[in-house]
Amino acid sequence: MADKSKIGKEYAPIVWEVERGKIRELVGAIGDQNPIYINREIAVKEGYKDSPAPPTFLTVPVMFSGSMATAVVDLQINFTMVLHGEEEYEYYQEIYPGDVITGVPKVKSIEEKTSKSGRTMDMVTIEIMYANQRGENVAKARTLIVERK
Amino acid sequence: MELYFEDIQVGQEMPQLVKGPFDKLQHVMYAGASGDFNPLHTDDDFAKAVGMQGGVITHGMLVMGTVGQAITAWVPKKYLKKFGVRFSGMTKPGNTITITGKVIDKQASGGLITCEIVAQDETGDVRLTGRFEAVLPSKN
Repeated sequence: MADKSKIGKEYAPIVWEVERGKIRELVGAIGDQNPIYINREIAVKEGYKDSPAPPTFLTVPVMFSGSMATAVVDLQINFTMVLHGEEEYEYYQEIYPGDVITGVPKVKSIEEKTSKSGRTMDMVTIEIMYANQRGENVAKARTLIVERK
Repeated sequence: MELYFEDIQVGQEMPQLVKGPFDKLQHVMYAGASGDFNPLHTDDDFAKAVGMQGGVITHGMLVMGTVGQAITAWVPKKYLKKFGVRFSGMTKPGNTITITGKVIDKQASGGLITCEIVAQDETGDVRLTGRFEAVLPSKN
């Protein structure tokens, strides 16, 4: 059972400088050839200040910082039984190359559920609000981690 | 071509996107790009040892990434306000997924549209469901 006393707990901030090359790598791996992500001129023509980060870019700071792994260990979740159940983003502003974004992971909820087959699972929701170098909120990420029993 | 709120009708379908087949090289590329180095996605021996009989499985976030591609090929990224998915099945190398979506709601005040999305493999099995919200400009 995940440690319910840790609901509301915040973890060390993730600080991440957004690089143009990382955006290119990510859309390259996805196979997304939308030119706005790799061509600044086209992005500007389409109404952006620069090439914007693609919709799932915020997985990059989380994974490279090891922040989700830190939370999983701290919450005493059995890593080998973890599934990524859900992922959700709210977007407030574009994220551009050169931005330095800071996100504070927070344990939003921990709930126990029983599946139709009678199996119990812990549902742990981690929320991360990201702000840019000007202190403006740019996006919120919500991750649901499922620990199977 | 600009997309306007008035161009969208409830029930309208998002242009379909077919992705794949996924392969192990793409998993390696995605691991390096995203920072998700869980060997479950790149090392068949490891994957088998933790119970994946067929070997590695595709990163869920890679599949979500392809759904993001489908959405922003239709609705410009700058209009996307919310995007969430529920992973309901594992995708594996060799799978081809088809991403479809449908407009389920329109709110004239503010230009908000809500769409449901689903990604299915070549046998029709659902691998992911989700929804997104976008705020579109008005012609007026």
